[in-house]
Amino acid sequence: MRPDSRSRRQLVMMLMPYLIGLLVLVLLPAVITLALAFTEYDLLRPPRWAGLANFSELIDDPIFRVALTNSLVFALVAVPLRVLFALGLALLLHRRALGVGSARSAAMLPTAVPEIAYGLLWLWLLNPLYGPINQVLRTGGENGLTMLGRTPPQWLTDPTDARAAIIAMSLFTMGETFVVLLAARRALPRDVYEMAALEDATGWDVFRRVTLPLMAPVLGLLLVRDAVQSLHFTFVPALVVTDGGPPPYATTYLSLFVYRNGFEYLRYGYAAAATLVMILLTVAAVVVQWRLIRRYRAFYRL
Amino acid sequence: MSDPGLLLEGVSAAYGRTPVLRGIDLTVAPGELLVVLGPSGAGKSTVLRVVAGLEPVTAGRVHIAGRDVTTDRPGRRNVSMVFQSYALFPHLSVADNIAFGLEVRDTPRAVARQRARAAAESVGCAALLDRRPGQLSGGERQRVALARALVREPDVFLLDEPLSNLDLALRTEMRTELRALHDRLGATMVHVTHDQTEALVLADRIAVLRDGRIEQVDTPDAIWHRPASAFVARFVGSPAMNLLPASGPFTPSGSAPPGLAAAEELQIGFRPGAVTLRAADDEAGGSAAVVDRVEVVGEDAYAYLTLAGGPPVVARVPADRRPVRGAAVRAEVRWADVHVFHAGSGLRYSPS
Repeated sequence: MRPDSRSRRQLVMMLMPYLIGLLVLVLLPAVITLALAFTEYDLLRPPRWAGLANFSELIDDPIFRVALTNSLVFALVAVPLRVLFALGLALLLHRRALGVGSARSAAMLPTAVPEIAYGLLWLWLLNPLYGPINQVLRTGGENGLTMLGRTPPQWLTDPTDARAAIIAMSLFTMGETFVVLLAARRALPRDVYEMAALEDATGWDVFRRVTLPLMAPVLGLLLVRDAVQSLHFTFVPALVVTDGGPPPYATTYLSLFVYRNGFEYLRYGYAAAATLVMILLTVAAVVVQWRLIRRYRAFYRL
Repeated sequence: MSDPGLLLEGVSAAYGRTPVLRGIDLTVAPGELLVVLGPSGAGKSTVLRVVAGLEPVTAGRVHIAGRDVTTDRPGRRNVSMVFQSYALFPHLSVADNIAFGLEVRDTPRAVARQRARAAAESVGCAALLDRRPGQLSGGERQRVALARALVREPDVFLLDEPLSNLDLALRTEMRTELRALHDRLGATMVHVTHDQTEALVLADRIAVLRDGRIEQVDTPDAIWHRPASAFVARFVGSPAMNLLPASGPFTPSGSAPPGLAAAEELQIGFRPGAVTLRAADDEAGGSAAVVDRVEVVGEDAYAYLTLAGGPPVVARVPADRRPVRGAAVRAEVRWADVHVFHAGSGLRYSPS
């Protein structure tokens, strides 16, 4: 049915609040930011044209290079882990059983907590001395060592441990991914699984030959989505929990780098240039993954 | 005597608290094609699912080829099933679909391929091996599902309304092929359907199911000619058998069976084809009736009559000699064509 001009006008009017919001709060700032990437701007004096100076400075900036590497490593490790973690929970909790409802809520809960509160909670969890995580790790050990006689992880002061901590924090906020996968699993036809049961397929065979290929398109989409967002996941944890440290900039990610330069060092043009690099990275990740998914779908004609 | 291909002893099953099967006793001989027939909700599919182990029994035992499999998991029962929806794996090629059961049982890939091809050839879908289910028509999917069921040479084949998603012409064709396949394989098959024609055509024996109980198990001939209950009589045959109180107003002609006790509450039943229609002024006899409506089905016509002071009756007449609507006629049925049932229990009346 073609909407007539009246209902079309109605549609436009109802979309207006969203469109205006999108324009004023997202698109306009984005365009301005991109323009600012080519200027020198301290938020006080008017921006001055700087050409590509910001970008050539970025290339030579060792901190930027560390932040870029940190972000890429984080994305490569955390994105697959998050989706795997969510997939595991979804496959565990898709059946109707006693307590499944509460378990699903529990899986969703960390995502619903405000980010800053979530970060502060982890600051306590990760505390090397009285934090519950290390207290558990120290059980059975002596003199503050673990059972195996090793020093427990120094989450906030050791560079590697701190990066691991940030990844751990990001795992538990996979609530949306979990919900999508739960729905996707529950939408799979039951008789296909009964068929597999009649053939005495093992759990591993069912997962490998049935569940995984049938859910692959959804998993692919979620990987793209997570990859896009992974550049943001790190911001609050790095700001609140590790403060970009421990030295040398072990948990300074692109998002924190942009924030520091823009709002602490008042180098808005420089921050905008780094933002532009982030966006380009995101686009590249999306394009690559989108192609992979399209090829997969074409192959299986899903 | 060899073990039956399939034996159910007092099998009951329930969904939650709702009983679905209430004490099913059933024996299927090796190589027999048994059709389970019944209206929807009678528990037909549950019979198959219980045999397959997809539903637990609440009572009774299930034996397959002489083994008690009541507590065995589905994969250990050596049965294969064709689902109404076919349950093909959409991401696998036809060849991989057929070979699935072999491959998860660690059959070498080359062997699995070869047997898949042989199974596909035996049901005429060898040309489809490289396609995916999404590219197949309903009839082709049906064949693939059959090939997948027979590739493993199971003890019992379970077919859950496999023809119900096909159009009529294809259904008729597949019905014939299915019967031929069964005769060629000599396999034990249990076929579930709600289509009485399918049951009559396919079956060695038919089990009529009603509300989780078996109403009658017998050959198609016996089901048709000696239905054990009014329910069976009316469920098999279309239009359904006429069922009237024996006390009148309609009285069959000829001599009533001996010992027909008039005091008992009885019903008489006769098929539309048993009714003879005559002109209203014909002196040869029959009850006066008025034609309500007439349906023509090719060479046959079905006249829906109202008896004087009584219930409706369907009569089958040749289409070229059908009465017109509103015509007054005489309807006659001979006792030889009449089935007698107890009105209360619905069971067949046998004069003692």
